[in-house]
Amino acid sequence: MNSTALKWFGRSWMLVVYAFLFLPIFTLVAYSFNDSQLVTVWSHTSLRWYKALMQDSDLIAAVMLSLQIAFLSALVSVFFGLFSAFALNRYRRFTGRGLLSSLASTPLVMPDVIVGLSLLLMLVSVQQALGYPERGLFTILLGHALLGTAYATVVVRSRLTEMDSKLEEAAMDLGCRPWQVFSLVTLPLIMPALLSAFLLTFTLSFDDVVLSSFLSGPGYSTMPMVIFSRARLGLNPSINALATVTIVVVSIVVIATTLYSLRQERQRKRDMALAQRE
Amino acid sequence: MENTSTSALANEPLLRIEGVSKIYDGHIKAVDQITLNVASGEIFALLGGSGCGKSTLLRMLAGFETPSQGRIYLGGTDITDLAAYQRPINMMFQSYALFPHLSVSDNIAFGLRRDGMAKEAIAERVEAMLKLVQLSQYTKRKPHQLSGGQQQRVALARSIAKQPKLLLLDEPLGALDKKLRVSTQIELVNIIKEVGVTCVLVTHDQEEAMTMATRMAVMSAGSFLQVGSPKDIYQQPNSRQVADFIGSVNIFDGLVKQSPANSAQAQCIDVECADALLRVPSNQACHVDMAVGVAIRPEKMLLSHKKPSAKINHVGGVITEMTYFGAHTNYHVKLASGKVLQVQVQSHVDEDNADLSWGDQVYASWGDNAMVLLTQ
Repeated sequence: MNSTALKWFGRSWMLVVYAFLFLPIFTLVAYSFNDSQLVTVWSHTSLRWYKALMQDSDLIAAVMLSLQIAFLSALVSVFFGLFSAFALNRYRRFTGRGLLSSLASTPLVMPDVIVGLSLLLMLVSVQQALGYPERGLFTILLGHALLGTAYATVVVRSRLTEMDSKLEEAAMDLGCRPWQVFSLVTLPLIMPALLSAFLLTFTLSFDDVVLSSFLSGPGYSTMPMVIFSRARLGLNPSINALATVTIVVVSIVVIATTLYSLRQERQRKRDMALAQRE
Repeated sequence: MENTSTSALANEPLLRIEGVSKIYDGHIKAVDQITLNVASGEIFALLGGSGCGKSTLLRMLAGFETPSQGRIYLGGTDITDLAAYQRPINMMFQSYALFPHLSVSDNIAFGLRRDGMAKEAIAERVEAMLKLVQLSQYTKRKPHQLSGGQQQRVALARSIAKQPKLLLLDEPLGALDKKLRVSTQIELVNIIKEVGVTCVLVTHDQEEAMTMATRMAVMSAGSFLQVGSPKDIYQQPNSRQVADFIGSVNIFDGLVKQSPANSAQAQCIDVECADALLRVPSNQACHVDMAVGVAIRPEKMLLSHKKPSAKINHVGGVITEMTYFGAHTNYHVKLASGKVLQVQVQSHVDEDNADLSWGDQVYASWGDNAMVLLTQ
């Protein structure tokens, strides 16, 4: 094979991969503007399903619930993730360190079905004994926070590891008490990691079906649960409209943050080059 | 009671380290029974290779490590059990450890703010510090917007802003490139002297220690090999290890020939070596047939084609290597025993015997005071 052929082979392979990845998404977006009742038949362009989406109070309630749970569980996950990462990273010797370390990463490798089932069993017996908690928002939140904390711990821990420990020593040397070291130096420096941990755990919670299905109670259906259950009964194109809205929102956020961090990085490189030249 | 304490303070060195050890895992002695006094105003260097314990000792002074044994006193007060943030000691870190999220002036003000100083006083002090290190126009910059040399000056300003009783420098020039080092070295010493702060610095670079310190200690395996002024240590090393570590040196191994009692002038010890008989002025206690070394610095030797008339204190050999440095020339002279001698000849001296060349049979000679007897 000569090099031109090889080049064309490479390009077409890339095209195939891209098509595989993005064609379904484009189809989904395109069909959200389809007037037909059937997802698979194209009639003509309209915003009919967007109107239907706005009147679909069940679906909108599910989206709101999902957003609420995702936001809260991300907050809780980052909070606990931060402290477990800090403890694991900065305190080399304490009783139960090994246990904490392995427990913190167990949910990463454990299948969601098992985590969900075991949580459900525990919650049922707790409820039988204490009459609380009722399955609903709180229990879903609990499950998502459990999973999210494991992910947040990993993200924050890697940032703490690559952070120069001399900076904390310098802060202490200049008169900071341990909690001041944490709030004045450590926290500002790992802020980007906390942000990305928040985004990651938010996303994890937002698209989780398995844990939510195990842990939710009557009247508490998250968006993925509703979509999943409707898919079994035959999809309504208003789901396509919802997906399109989600894709647009996510794309805007992703593109904006990428552009922002790219610009920051370029500015930083320019500054450093300038400083060396002076 | 009060009287005794003040009179004791008068003789009290600023820093007193008493039998300090740091033992890891019950048996690894990183620092082994160090005792040291540093007087007010001194710049004291801890010199040694990596793993000699110098950094551990410095970290114990800063409060980042607790000694396993011994006490540390600062101005007569026992500070051994004080936390790093309670000690009137500040440190300039090797990699500077500037806070990347804070501007130059916020970095310098960081320690002052922890002391609860008034805002105006902080601003005034920061300005004075910036002026001292000549960075007044860079107040708003972040550390990454500064060159290496500028970062080093910010780190210095930050570490002296709190007017510490003791300033610790960890490899102060280690992160700079060679060209910047010499000028920065002088600048750094000038600022330290201007502020008048007592200083303990750690370095593995003997040149850095020699040029900056008023007194220094050569460290190895957790203990001091020798403590003294840079000149003392260079001229009168007390062991092979020190002689070898500081500068280059030729060491002749030999046996003590005769008891030193009979010499007329100063006390001398004769050492029989493979290549020559050396008569070394020394009043160290030696006995006949004791194995000793005689150290001679390369720059204290003279080279000549002519054989010296005296019978002692010279060796003959063949030039095997010759490197011209401009101000001086380095020669390698291979002696009959196979030992290779390093000789450094200043260029103005060299002009007289400019015809020295590869393969020449030459004689190296030196004055009596060039030799140092090493018994360990």
